[in-house]
Amino acid sequence: MQAPTATELLSELAVQQALEQAWMDSLPGDPRRRHEEGGWIYLDTITGALAMRRAPPGAQADLDLSTPPVVPSSVVVATFHTHPNPSAEGWEPGPSAADTQSAWLLGVPCLIRADDGVHSTGPPSRRGGLAGGPGYPP
Amino acid sequence: MSDLVAKPSGAAALSGDQALAIAQADAARVYRDLFGYRIQLELEDDGWHVDYDLKDPRHKGGGPHYVIDAYTGAIVAKRYEQ
Repeated sequence: MQAPTATELLSELAVQQALEQAWMDSLPGDPRRRHEEGGWIYLDTITGALAMRRAPPGAQADLDLSTPPVVPSSVVVATFHTHPNPSAEGWEPGPSAADTQSAWLLGVPCLIRADDGVHSTGPPSRRGGLAGGPGYPP
Repeated sequence: MSDLVAKPSGAAALSGDQALAIAQADAARVYRDLFGYRIQLELEDDGWHVDYDLKDPRHKGGGPHYVIDAYTGAIVAKRYEQ
Protein backbone atom coordinates (compact mmCIF):
# COMPACT_ATOMS: atom_id res chain seq x y z
CA MET A 1 0.00 0.00 0.00
CA GLN A 2 1.31 3.46 -0.93
CA ALA A 3 0.49 6.89 0.36
CA PRO A 4 -2.13 8.51 -1.92
CA THR A 5 -1.20 11.59 -3.88
CA ALA A 6 -3.06 14.88 -3.61
CA THR A 7 -4.57 14.23 -7.03
CA GLU A 8 -5.79 10.79 -5.98
CA LEU A 9 -7.28 12.17 -2.77
CA LEU A 10 -9.13 14.91 -4.62
CA SER A 11 -10.79 12.28 -6.82
CA GLU A 12 -12.29 10.57 -3.74
CA LEU A 13 -15.93 11.43 -3.06
CA ALA A 14 -15.40 11.39 0.72
CA VAL A 15 -12.62 13.96 0.41
CA GLN A 16 -14.71 16.14 -1.90
CA GLN A 17 -17.57 16.00 0.59
CA ALA A 18 -15.27 16.91 3.50
CA LEU A 19 -13.99 19.92 1.57
CA GLU A 20 -17.53 21.04 0.73
CA GLN A 21 -18.71 20.64 4.32
CA ALA A 22 -15.74 22.65 5.57
CA TRP A 23 -16.48 25.28 2.94
CA MET A 24 -20.09 25.66 4.10
CA ASP A 25 -19.01 25.76 7.74
CA SER A 26 -16.58 28.60 6.87
CA LEU A 27 -19.54 30.94 6.29
CA PRO A 28 -18.00 32.50 3.16
CA GLY A 29 -21.10 34.62 2.62
CA ASP A 30 -20.89 36.31 6.00
CA PRO A 31 -18.25 39.09 6.00
CA ARG A 32 -18.17 39.36 9.78
CA ARG A 33 -18.06 35.68 10.65
CA ARG A 34 -16.25 33.98 7.76
CA HIS A 35 -13.30 31.94 9.00
CA GLU A 36 -11.06 29.06 8.02
CA GLU A 37 -12.17 25.48 8.62
CA GLY A 38 -10.29 22.27 7.95
CA GLY A 39 -8.80 19.10 9.28
CA TRP A 40 -6.83 15.99 8.49
CA ILE A 41 -7.19 13.08 6.08
CA TYR A 42 -6.11 9.69 7.44
CA LEU A 43 -5.39 6.39 5.74
CA ASP A 44 -5.95 3.18 7.67
CA THR A 45 -2.78 1.22 6.98
CA ILE A 46 -4.59 -2.11 7.50
CA THR A 47 -7.80 -1.61 5.51
CA GLY A 48 -6.77 1.20 3.17
CA ALA A 49 -9.85 3.21 4.15
CA LEU A 50 -9.78 6.99 4.27
CA ALA A 51 -11.14 8.94 7.22
CA MET A 52 -11.42 12.65 7.95
CA ARG A 53 -11.19 14.52 11.24
CA ARG A 54 -12.02 18.20 11.70
CA ALA A 55 -9.95 20.71 13.64
CA PRO A 56 -11.44 23.46 15.81
CA PRO A 57 -12.52 26.47 13.72
CA GLY A 58 -9.77 28.88 12.78
CA ALA A 59 -9.64 32.64 12.37
CA GLN A 60 -10.36 34.76 9.30
CA ALA A 61 -7.03 33.81 7.68
CA ASP A 62 -5.35 31.43 10.12
CA LEU A 63 -5.87 27.77 11.06
CA ASP A 64 -3.86 25.52 13.35
CA LEU A 65 -3.52 21.98 11.97
CA SER A 66 -0.27 21.23 13.77
CA THR A 67 -1.60 18.62 16.22
CA PRO A 68 -3.72 15.94 14.54
CA PRO A 69 -5.59 13.55 16.87
CA VAL A 70 -4.38 9.96 16.86
CA VAL A 71 -6.61 7.64 14.84
CA PRO A 72 -6.00 3.92 15.51
CA SER A 73 -3.98 2.08 12.80
CA SER A 74 -4.00 5.24 10.67
CA VAL A 75 -1.57 7.89 9.50
CA VAL A 76 -2.17 11.44 8.26
CA VAL A 77 -1.87 11.58 4.47
CA ALA A 78 -3.03 15.18 3.89
CA THR A 79 -4.58 18.24 5.44
CA PHE A 80 -7.49 20.22 4.08
CA HIS A 81 -8.77 23.70 4.78
CA THR A 82 -10.75 26.57 3.33
CA HIS A 83 -10.03 30.05 2.04
CA PRO A 84 -13.38 31.72 2.72
CA ASN A 85 -12.42 35.30 1.92
CA PRO A 86 -13.61 36.38 -1.54
CA SER A 87 -11.26 36.89 -4.45
CA ALA A 88 -13.67 39.60 -5.66
CA GLU A 89 -12.50 41.69 -2.69
CA GLY A 90 -8.84 41.22 -3.53
CA TRP A 91 -8.07 38.08 -1.53
CA GLU A 92 -5.75 35.49 -3.02
CA PRO A 93 -7.74 32.26 -3.42
CA GLY A 94 -4.74 29.97 -3.87
CA PRO A 95 -2.16 28.68 -1.42
CA SER A 96 -0.34 31.26 0.67
CA ALA A 97 3.38 31.09 1.29
CA ALA A 98 2.54 29.81 4.79
CA ASP A 99 0.30 27.08 3.35
CA THR A 100 3.15 25.83 1.19
CA GLN A 101 5.78 26.20 3.90
CA SER A 102 3.72 24.39 6.54
CA ALA A 103 2.82 21.59 4.12
CA TRP A 104 6.48 20.86 3.44
CA LEU A 105 7.27 21.24 7.14
CA LEU A 106 4.53 18.85 8.23
CA GLY A 107 5.25 16.47 5.34
CA VAL A 108 1.83 15.97 3.76
CA PRO A 109 -0.11 17.58 0.89
CA CYS A 110 -2.34 20.54 1.70
CA LEU A 111 -5.74 20.65 -0.01
CA ILE A 112 -7.60 23.97 -0.15
CA ARG A 113 -11.18 24.85 -1.03
CA ALA A 114 -11.56 28.46 -2.19
CA ASP A 115 -14.17 30.41 -4.10
CA ASP A 116 -12.52 29.58 -7.42
CA GLY A 117 -12.27 25.85 -6.79
CA VAL A 118 -9.80 23.47 -5.19
CA HIS A 119 -6.03 23.96 -4.89
CA SER A 120 -3.20 21.88 -3.50
CA THR A 121 0.34 22.62 -2.38
CA GLY A 122 3.21 20.93 -0.61
CA PRO A 123 4.63 17.47 -1.26
CA PRO A 124 2.71 15.33 -3.78
CA SER A 125 2.14 12.67 -1.13
CA ARG A 126 3.04 11.89 2.50
CA ARG A 127 6.79 12.18 3.05
CA GLY A 128 8.39 8.74 3.35
CA GLY A 129 5.21 6.84 2.46
CA LEU A 130 3.05 5.23 5.13
CA ALA A 131 5.90 4.50 7.53
CA GLY A 132 6.61 6.50 10.65
CA GLY A 133 3.67 5.85 12.93
CA PRO A 134 0.50 7.86 13.58
CA GLY A 135 0.12 11.53 12.91
CA TYR A 136 2.45 13.40 10.61
CA PRO A 137 5.54 11.72 9.17
CA PRO A 138 8.80 12.09 11.09
CA MET B 1 0.82 42.84 19.42
CA SER B 2 2.52 41.67 16.26
CA ASP B 3 6.28 41.36 16.24
CA LEU B 4 8.17 43.83 14.06
CA VAL B 5 11.41 43.18 12.19
CA ALA B 6 12.76 46.30 10.45
CA LYS B 7 15.57 46.28 7.90
CA PRO B 8 16.08 49.82 6.58
CA SER B 9 18.62 49.90 3.74
CA GLY B 10 18.47 53.42 2.32
CA ALA B 11 17.12 56.95 2.52
CA ALA B 12 13.54 57.83 1.63
CA ALA B 13 11.16 60.72 2.09
CA LEU B 14 8.78 58.41 3.90
CA SER B 15 9.98 56.97 7.19
CA GLY B 16 9.53 53.36 8.13
CA ASP B 17 7.08 54.39 10.82
CA GLN B 18 4.98 56.23 8.26
CA ALA B 19 5.07 53.29 5.84
CA LEU B 20 4.05 50.94 8.59
CA ALA B 21 1.20 53.20 9.65
CA ILE B 22 -0.14 53.23 6.08
CA ALA B 23 0.07 49.45 5.85
CA GLN B 24 -1.41 48.93 9.28
CA ALA B 25 -4.40 51.13 8.49
CA ASP B 26 -5.25 49.00 5.48
CA ALA B 27 -4.46 45.68 7.16
CA ALA B 28 -6.62 46.47 10.17
CA ARG B 29 -9.52 47.33 7.87
CA VAL B 30 -9.31 44.04 5.97
CA TYR B 31 -8.12 41.55 8.61
CA ARG B 32 -10.18 41.25 11.76
CA ASP B 33 -7.20 40.20 13.90
CA LEU B 34 -3.49 40.86 13.34
CA PHE B 35 -2.35 39.38 16.63
CA GLY B 36 -0.80 36.23 15.16
CA TYR B 37 1.45 37.98 12.65
CA ARG B 38 5.08 39.05 12.57
CA ILE B 39 5.68 42.24 10.57
CA GLN B 40 8.74 42.68 8.37
CA LEU B 41 9.56 46.15 7.09
CA GLU B 42 12.24 46.69 4.47
CA LEU B 43 13.17 49.51 2.09
CA GLU B 44 13.77 48.19 -1.44
CA ASP B 45 14.37 49.93 -4.76
CA ASP B 46 10.63 49.95 -5.51
CA GLY B 47 9.53 51.22 -2.11
CA TRP B 48 8.80 50.06 1.41
CA HIS B 49 7.90 46.39 1.64
CA VAL B 50 5.65 45.61 4.58
CA ASP B 51 4.92 41.92 5.07
CA TYR B 52 2.70 40.30 7.68
CA ASP B 53 3.61 36.64 8.16
CA LEU B 54 2.16 34.11 10.57
CA LYS B 55 4.32 33.71 13.67
CA ASP B 56 3.87 29.92 13.78
CA PRO B 57 5.29 28.30 10.61
CA ARG B 58 3.10 25.22 11.13
CA HIS B 59 -0.12 27.20 10.76
CA LYS B 60 -2.18 27.44 7.59
CA GLY B 61 -3.16 30.92 6.51
CA GLY B 62 -1.59 34.17 5.48
CA GLY B 63 -1.39 37.88 5.97
CA PRO B 64 -1.31 41.08 3.95
CA HIS B 65 1.72 42.19 1.94
CA TYR B 66 2.40 45.72 0.71
CA VAL B 67 4.74 47.76 -1.41
CA ILE B 68 4.47 51.46 -0.49
CA ASP B 69 5.98 54.27 -2.54
CA ALA B 70 8.87 55.65 -0.49
CA TYR B 71 8.16 59.24 -1.54
CA THR B 72 4.39 59.58 -1.96
CA GLY B 73 3.18 56.99 0.55
CA ALA B 74 0.86 55.44 -2.04
CA ILE B 75 0.25 51.73 -1.84
CA VAL B 76 1.58 50.57 -5.21
CA ALA B 77 0.97 46.85 -4.65
CA LYS B 78 -0.85 44.78 -2.09
CA ARG B 79 -1.72 41.12 -1.67
CA TYR B 80 -4.14 39.63 0.84
CA GLU B 81 -3.13 36.07 1.60
CA GLN B 82 -5.34 33.65 3.51
